[in-house]
Amino acid sequence: MTSNASSSSFSDEDEESAGQKPKTGSIDYSPDAIENQLPSIALNTSIDEEKVSVADDHHEPVTEIARGSSREIEPERLISSTGESNLSTETGVWRNSSKVEVDGATSSPCSSGYAGEMGTSSGTASTSGADDIQELRNNSSSVGNDGEVLHSAQWVPGKRHVDEDDTCMSWRERKKHFFVLSHSGKPIFSRYGNEHKLAGFSATLQAIISFVKDGGDRIHLIRAGKHQVVFLVKGPIYLVCISCTEEPYESLRGQLELLYGQMVLILTESVSRYFEKNPKFDMTPLLGGTDAVFSSLFHAFSWNPASFLHAYTCLPLPCATRQAAAAILQDVSDSGVIYSMLMCKYKVVSLVGAQKAPLHPDDMLLLANFVMTSESFSPICLPRYNAMAFLHAYVHYFDDDTYLVLLTSNSDAFFHLKDCRIQIENVLVKSNVLSDIQRSLLEGGMRVENLPLYPSTRYGSLFHNEPSDRSQESLQPGIGGPDGLWHFIYRSMNLDQYVSSKFSSPITTHQHQKRLYRAYQKLYASMHDKETGPHKTQFKRDGNYVLLCWVTTDFELYAAFDPLADKGSAIRICNRVCQWVKDVENEIFLLGGGSTFAW
Amino acid sequence: MASRRRMLLKVIILGDSGVGKTSLMNQYVNRKFSNQYKATIGADFLTKEIQFEDRLFTLQIWDTAGQERFQSLGVAFYRGADCCVLVHDVNVMKSFESLSNWREEFLIQASPSDPENFPFVVLGNKIDVDGGNSRVVSEKKAKAWCASKGNIPYFETSAKEGFNVEAAFECIAKNALKNEPEEEMYIPDTIDVARERQQKSSGCEC
Repeated sequence: MTSNASSSSFSDEDEESAGQKPKTGSIDYSPDAIENQLPSIALNTSIDEEKVSVADDHHEPVTEIARGSSREIEPERLISSTGESNLSTETGVWRNSSKVEVDGATSSPCSSGYAGEMGTSSGTASTSGADDIQELRNNSSSVGNDGEVLHSAQWVPGKRHVDEDDTCMSWRERKKHFFVLSHSGKPIFSRYGNEHKLAGFSATLQAIISFVKDGGDRIHLIRAGKHQVVFLVKGPIYLVCISCTEEPYESLRGQLELLYGQMVLILTESVSRYFEKNPKFDMTPLLGGTDAVFSSLFHAFSWNPASFLHAYTCLPLPCATRQAAAAILQDVSDSGVIYSMLMCKYKVVSLVGAQKAPLHPDDMLLLANFVMTSESFSPICLPRYNAMAFLHAYVHYFDDDTYLVLLTSNSDAFFHLKDCRIQIENVLVKSNVLSDIQRSLLEGGMRVENLPLYPSTRYGSLFHNEPSDRSQESLQPGIGGPDGLWHFIYRSMNLDQYVSSKFSSPITTHQHQKRLYRAYQKLYASMHDKETGPHKTQFKRDGNYVLLCWVTTDFELYAAFDPLADKGSAIRICNRVCQWVKDVENEIFLLGGGSTFAW
Repeated sequence: MASRRRMLLKVIILGDSGVGKTSLMNQYVNRKFSNQYKATIGADFLTKEIQFEDRLFTLQIWDTAGQERFQSLGVAFYRGADCCVLVHDVNVMKSFESLSNWREEFLIQASPSDPENFPFVVLGNKIDVDGGNSRVVSEKKAKAWCASKGNIPYFETSAKEGFNVEAAFECIAKNALKNEPEEEMYIPDTIDVARERQQKSSGCEC
């Protein structure tokens, strides 16, 4: 048990290894109990090379196909992927790995074989810096109460586990895989492992997709035990996610859309023309050097609500500060700059566009993700703006966090944009915008423990409090907000923006934050379920939380409470949260006035 | 060739059922042979890394089902192939006669840009059987057919004994490479803001 835990590496992704799945229920970890629970599963032999045709016993994966009859597909039998080493070991890929999951999750002594194997394989992946960071889960006292800052401090971009392929147990154990392949079955990108070594696996995926396609249908999802295999076909580019994270199908599909969008941002959709001309077209060289962009995007899938809300968020700032920033951005925007964005990490400080076309929040997410991991003057494509053509992005960092993005259609504009940047920087420094941004980063934001008691006019602004008072308050464990409020996300419908409260006690550990994130994700999907929804309210109590969701035409509120919270008071608190958001809206949102993005 | 990046070559193996496609692939990749016959269902995929003229390649080998009832993947199988391997059993005349059909089927489905020069390789397999006494397709006959189809390279192989398999696949890789198209520059357009404005304003009026 302990050896298993220590070999599991910390990174943002507990999905890197199935062995780390958080278990909330009380499970007896003794070997006897596990054997009783899982009498039919031969844990001892599951790493054995000789364990060959497990797959033949499992034909039950159910396929959900868009239209038409639910035709049954038996992936293991229909098409078997075979790696270099052993013809027959490959046949039961997903079956095998679901066993591994059971194995890892219960941390039985039998899994020591895996633990060892995992340890060696992650040891060889020298690029995975994050893996060297020790697990912090059991040491919550060392974790700050601002999850976002925590994540970005510890998360190291870059591709992980590059030496793996589909014959590696450690590879199969990864909880969430992303693959991109061409319509001729050639691998383009894989989140884990070496694309070339995964050529056979990639061909298998293509065969599954094409088999359904040839029947005049489209494959969307295969469920196989705990795994979901989600497919997205974008012309000649096929995207596949294989996940046992229990995220809703809609979320995973949305993530594939963003993954595709990120590729379009780098290359435009013109790649499809090249595929039309030549099916053998290889786009991997065009994506050279972008590993960090994609790993950072996968990271965002696990903590950035923008990735499923399709809304962006602002850095909370005094209204005057934001206006000062907007004014100077506006000044340069008439000189051939299409969009100017002043950003702090993923948060918007100010945003100005010369054209009457609002920037789509997804484009902003993809752009921020690209900018934060890439060069300073590069052609980029905004998939929701114009997927076929490039714009040119000038990017300049004022400090570690704050950066300016100027978008232009003129590829020779570098020096002009540099002048614009100098002009902007002078103003920002003089008017203290940059120092206000740093202050907001340190102490700004909405904290549930500061939720005002209404009626009260004391808190008209987030920036009145003595910072020292507040930080002392939030250091005390187990408090949270009034009536058991732990956290909330408020999404404004007509602004396409959201605001989320800072993580406070008891949502302090990475594990808690991620679990809450997943709960929100699920809640969002169920509220927007196309078959049964959309819904207006939802009140849900489970072992972890009371979750309350409230959707109106103006806003969506997602709130998490102590699992023992009273329903009546939870609803009352939600009303107060909405009131509070309204009271400080000019500090947390970009409002119509200054920007051109309000329609 | 400007770049030294690693290339992936897609190789399709076609031929009647039972001629030994899977065995050839298995012998080549895993150096194993089994006498048991197991029909391939749908398709099977293997990868093999090879080094050739100081460059690393990955062969993505698509072993298809010879039986007609599994011929459902069509275009998807053949799309973007770099080389096509046609296999027959030298002891079965019909499997040799089918080669023309397989070749045509491939050219129709894959519709390569230059069908005349698309790289094929023909393998006459199972030359070990019965010491060669049950052989019905002579080397001469096979070579004549290959010559008539634009000088397709021909190899006599035995998957069972591993005879000539390595050489055949080396030729396959070489041919797949020959067909490598010249690299095109990737230059998408840049947004023309002025023109977009025009389009947009005209769109707004209606």
